[in-house]
Amino acid sequence: MFEIKNLHAKINDTEILRGINLKINAGEVHAIMGPNGSGKSTLAKIIAGHPDYEVTEGEILYEVNFKKINILEMEPEERAQEGIFLAFQYPVEIPGVSMSAFLRASFNALCRHQGAEEMDPMDFDVFLRKKMKLLEMDEKFINRPVNVDFSGGEKKRNEIMQMAVLNPRLAVLDETDSGLDIDSMRIVADGVNKLKSKNNAMLVITHYQRLLNYIIPDFVHILVDGRIVKSSGRDLALEVEDKGYDWLSKK
Amino acid sequence: MTNAMIAQAEKNSPFMEQLDALIGALRKEKSPDWIIQLREEGVVRFRKLGIPTTKDEEWKYTNLSALAASRCSPAVKSTLSPAQRKDVLARYCSKADVNIVFINGAFDKELSNLGKISGSIEIIPLRDALTNNAAAVQEIWAHYDPQQDSAFVALNKAFTQEGTYIHIGDKIIANQLIHIVHVTHSDGEAIATFPHTFICLGKSSEASILETHVGLSDESVYLADPLTDALLEENATLHYSKAQKESLKAYHVGTTRVWQKRDSTFNGFSLVAGASITRNNLDIVINGEGAAAFLNGLYSVYKDQHVDNHTSVDHRVPNATSNQLYKGVLNDAARAVFNGKIFVRAIAQQTNSYQLNKNLLLGKECRVDTKPQLEIFADDVKCTHGATIGQLNEDEIFYLQARGIPRNIATRLLTQGFVDDVLNRLTRDSVRQQVAQLVAPSLKVLEG
Repeated sequence: MFEIKNLHAKINDTEILRGINLKINAGEVHAIMGPNGSGKSTLAKIIAGHPDYEVTEGEILYEVNFKKINILEMEPEERAQEGIFLAFQYPVEIPGVSMSAFLRASFNALCRHQGAEEMDPMDFDVFLRKKMKLLEMDEKFINRPVNVDFSGGEKKRNEIMQMAVLNPRLAVLDETDSGLDIDSMRIVADGVNKLKSKNNAMLVITHYQRLLNYIIPDFVHILVDGRIVKSSGRDLALEVEDKGYDWLSKK
Repeated sequence: MTNAMIAQAEKNSPFMEQLDALIGALRKEKSPDWIIQLREEGVVRFRKLGIPTTKDEEWKYTNLSALAASRCSPAVKSTLSPAQRKDVLARYCSKADVNIVFINGAFDKELSNLGKISGSIEIIPLRDALTNNAAAVQEIWAHYDPQQDSAFVALNKAFTQEGTYIHIGDKIIANQLIHIVHVTHSDGEAIATFPHTFICLGKSSEASILETHVGLSDESVYLADPLTDALLEENATLHYSKAQKESLKAYHVGTTRVWQKRDSTFNGFSLVAGASITRNNLDIVINGEGAAAFLNGLYSVYKDQHVDNHTSVDHRVPNATSNQLYKGVLNDAARAVFNGKIFVRAIAQQTNSYQLNKNLLLGKECRVDTKPQLEIFADDVKCTHGATIGQLNEDEIFYLQARGIPRNIATRLLTQGFVDDVLNRLTRDSVRQQVAQLVAPSLKVLEG
């Protein structure tokens, strides 16, 4: 359902991705690990359509209505409307816009795109509270400005809560575990696991193997210097935890 | 030309030449002697000062030469058609409120609804109050030295006649909103209006007052020069909002002066959502310990509109608080000026004063000049200020887009959020709705 082919990308003339190839089928969980600066977050942002990066070569194919389309030609909002979701590494604070107003605008944008009727505000409120409960978020957050005065853990939970609201086909989790204490990480991982199905897929980007004890990947890829240098099963994660990345990059 | 010659030429400007014709009509009316004298003093002072130029430090960023070059005619009384009158009623006059309506500066009894007014709450057209409540009006004005009046306060006084007098008795809580509506409309010639509002709150009393200034069409040419004077007795609380959406061809040069006694609270809000040139002076004198002043403001302008807010808070006593938040949204080639003066006198120890001005620039050619002006003579005070000028944050836009929200809706949502932050400080729903309704058209421009 999702395939990255020979992806090269740069920011301000610095080449960051140097030919990435990756294929993800529905129902699969893929993990990408790698040292700092290897291009993990760049890849996540490019999938979501961040305007700061320039793709110089390659394509990202995504299946929409049984047709493969190159999402690099789509606006960020169009990708989201087609079911691509990025859980941000650093969720953005939006003063003045309440969680409920934000998520209703988001949910309704997806409904409109899919030709479904928008949800009535009262029903949406009930729906939203249910999703917040799933991530053990306090209901008081519903009227608070998006991410403003949220703790680091609350921001990350909020990302997965949004994922639960939008129910994406492809979820990219960008270092969702960084900075989380073990309790918050369990809550986040439980939330993610509940959203897993045979129809959707996940790309979990992480710096630490710890998260992968909770979200079990089918494949692990190691990203070094903008290239995937090794792909294997979940044991690879344990191996890099043990040996570090140096043995991979020297090859 | 020498500077003296330029100054002379400006004093002989068309506006000044027309002054006699403007005042002539008023001179024919029968008025109390003290008012006749006060008007003449106003004329003398205004002639002496003239219309300010950008050489005046207080007017450095706001150029009134176009006003000086224009001729205003005496305002013609109510020129509105029955349909327009009905529209004014429907838009601005809620049955739940006390409504005092002025059309082209003149009190309109038929559109107004002074409610069932008890003896301890007086809401009276100024024309009557100048005769019947002269002592109370004089007492409010006695707080200020007329030799210090600015040009536009002097000009306003030269036309003292129409307006509103509000007096709330001691310990009275006026529950109903008092809504003063100034509607101006001119199909042809430029006109000028000079409304006054006198507000006097007795000890431990409370009132909510909204003044709305609107132009019926964006084509009307006029000068609105209103003056509002408020006196807050001990422990009184005044919720005062001024909301303005004048014609795109109008000038609005208004002054609001507030005199606060011990433990009083002034809860102020100012909206500017239109006029060719707006200048608002809001002058607070904190003359009693324990008093608090909250000054919140929002301006939202587009095309080539110009808005200039000058606030001044004079801390004359210890242990008082002032807090200001002014936010602006500018589009196209609009310009904004914010000048926030805070004086803390040597005696005013333990003053707590905060000021913040935030500007959102959406247009390619808009410009903001923001200037905090703190003069602190006491040594044990807490005074902070800040100003920001910026565009919408691209990270915020991308975050919303990544959740499926199209860029134009994201822009509107973020701008609305910027605006709501200060709008939500209006705690009375009906006032917030009225203000939101006036600002909405200027924000709608974003969708185009």
